[in-house]
Amino acid sequence: MSRILLAFRAFFAILFGRPLPPEIVPTPARPAAPSTPSAPPPANPGSALQLLAILQRDSRLLDFLMEDIASYQDDQIGAAVRSLHDQARDSLARYLSLQPVIDGVEGAYTRSASGDPAAVKFIGNVPAGKPDGGVLRHKGWRAAKVDLPALNPKQDASIIAPAEIEIE
Amino acid sequence: MEPRYVIGIDLGTTNSALSYVEYKPDADPFALPKVELLGIPQLVNPSEVRDEGLLPSFLYVPGATDFAAGSTALPWDAQPDVVVGRLAQKRGAENASRLVSSAKSWLSHGGVDRTAPILPFRAPEGVPRFSPVEASRRYLDHLRRAWDSRMPDAPFTDQQVLVTVPASFDAVARELTLKAAEQAGYHNLTLLEEPQAAFYAWIERHPDWRERVRVGDLILVVDIGGGTTDFTLIAVTQKGGELTLDRVAVGEHILLGGDNIDLALARLVADQLAQKGTKIDALQLQALWNNCRTAKEKLLEPGNKKDEEPVTILGKGTGVVGGTIKAKLQRGDLERLLLDGFLPAVSSHDMPARQRRSGLQELGLPYAADAAMTRHMARFLRQQASEAEQGGVRRGPSGLACPTHVLFNGGVLNAGLIRERLLGVLNSWLAEEGLPAVKPLSGEDLMRAVSRGAAYYGLARRGRGVRIRGGVPRTYYVGIETAMPSVPGLPAPLKALTVVPFGMEEGTDLRIPNREFGLVVGEPAEFRFFTSAVRKNDDAGHLIEDFGDDLQELAPMEVNLPAQQDAADVVPVSFETVVTETGMLQLWCVARDGRRWKLEFNVRERVEG
Repeated sequence: MSRILLAFRAFFAILFGRPLPPEIVPTPARPAAPSTPSAPPPANPGSALQLLAILQRDSRLLDFLMEDIASYQDDQIGAAVRSLHDQARDSLARYLSLQPVIDGVEGAYTRSASGDPAAVKFIGNVPAGKPDGGVLRHKGWRAAKVDLPALNPKQDASIIAPAEIEIE
Repeated sequence: MEPRYVIGIDLGTTNSALSYVEYKPDADPFALPKVELLGIPQLVNPSEVRDEGLLPSFLYVPGATDFAAGSTALPWDAQPDVVVGRLAQKRGAENASRLVSSAKSWLSHGGVDRTAPILPFRAPEGVPRFSPVEASRRYLDHLRRAWDSRMPDAPFTDQQVLVTVPASFDAVARELTLKAAEQAGYHNLTLLEEPQAAFYAWIERHPDWRERVRVGDLILVVDIGGGTTDFTLIAVTQKGGELTLDRVAVGEHILLGGDNIDLALARLVADQLAQKGTKIDALQLQALWNNCRTAKEKLLEPGNKKDEEPVTILGKGTGVVGGTIKAKLQRGDLERLLLDGFLPAVSSHDMPARQRRSGLQELGLPYAADAAMTRHMARFLRQQASEAEQGGVRRGPSGLACPTHVLFNGGVLNAGLIRERLLGVLNSWLAEEGLPAVKPLSGEDLMRAVSRGAAYYGLARRGRGVRIRGGVPRTYYVGIETAMPSVPGLPAPLKALTVVPFGMEEGTDLRIPNREFGLVVGEPAEFRFFTSAVRKNDDAGHLIEDFGDDLQELAPMEVNLPAQQDAADVVPVSFETVVTETGMLQLWCVARDGRRWKLEFNVRERVEG
């Protein structure tokens, strides 16, 4: 079950541009690169929260990630995740068009001309110069199209999911 | 201006669809016309308008706390007072008391006033209500505006439009559908029966259809949708050396469909949960209903050999995993419920159970009392036997109408198991009659065939393609009270005068001979109005004395003659019947001097039935 959790965490890391969980990238300890103190411009949280709100609405993803699942049996988690996974994938497909960065076969030798470390990351015994290729370990993900509905300016974007009150 | 497109609209009980085809006068007459589906822009979530292939026929009446201001705007309406389509369906699952559903079934329900604001049926005081006609108007209006926003170069009102209705719709329900369409701004409108449309869709897909059927063949169209089951018989005949198609019989309106199956499955799973000590509430049952539908579809997919499919109800609060209720839909249970409950292997003499008549009945839709679709099919084919003279229907020795082909339509019949069972039962009846098995006609895209077929028919009406000859699918009668001394406690016996014979063709009219009525002027005169799908050989003017259960009463017909100063108090009139080119039924009172008044349905009156 931890693989599913990991997949979700990896997905969000990629989506929101955060570093991947260490389990997913078995990188050998890298020498700390000399940091350049250029602060990135603050991101607009609107669309990130909007996508999170959509995934919560359609699949209850936020509930799931925030829940302490340590005490539950695997089959209980499995039952919830199966249903949640289907719905989360459906809504992702509806709003994003996801494609691999390199459309190749994982495990096969792949040439790459890219010099953009954000798009292609070289790992392992990377030579001194720019390498021309290597074994494709992860195809990467690229949002070829983002088709989120326009935000209602009157609405409080910080509300990801409304509270629910049932009148009985 | 000549219409550029023919538009076919399937105004369904649970989903509506719009197909269209371009009319090209100089096109190759043997080329297949290209019928396309329109993506219908609709709210799928608050502030989110998206194209979907189907428009769910749901209307939600939002209150102050339902949606944020401005979040229900449509491209053509910044502040609509109701929500129609996918979002209405979604929100309605959370708050059913503001949801209008199955407006179409209400439209054909004679027990209520169909022009009065009665829906949502269980809405609390203070919620605006809509009549079944108005709700239908809203769906049709949405489709018109959807078209105009997608096809700005070809305004909807300039195109030729076909709207489909169930074959079992009586004259009142048809008239009300037409009225809703007119109020929604439709012109150039024709109504078409759904099973016929489904058959046209088959013809559209099979240009070689003339090689697939022969003269004397009888095609049974079985249409099982979300809420209704409909049977129709189409006979293949010959006229002037050309194959022609005659619609020879339609069934009664049966409120029984796929939703019943899914609800039965949900109840079954809920029972199994209850036995294990897990109680679920109404909202969870709703979720279970949807999940059972999905699980059923998965289990019935071709090639699926799994014995069970998990059905999950996610936890209600933030504890989604902890609150999750796990259940399973067993293949054995599903098959038992389908095969024994909905499609039992019955004999062709087995008739459905009659509607219960308890003294106090909750007012609501008259759902079928018997869930066995095969029994309804037996009754339909038996009913055709009671009038042996009706030509064109192939019969077995016992008188059972015996089809040679079956065409399936409706989402429920996507399931091979259900199709196989229906075929198996039908073939066992045919074997008893000593006749060979039926051939299934392969239909495709059972959800959208009706709107596609309607668009094709629009072309057929303009000379391209074959047309099914139908005529009026029922016989209609006016009730006449017998003139005799009244007996306390007993109503005067009623006789029924045939005013519209079965099969009366579009574009014809007839005068009822030898019968005049004294019509009082200055006040509304009312006629009791009856129909029958069973009696097919009553000629116009024929008087029936004792009709038992064969006739159903419809909304009364009403005529109001203005009093004139110089006119007599009572005007002798006779009846005239007109069936218009578009298939609408009209009854007229004609005076001796040629003055005419049209009889209108009085749907405001409660009909006891």
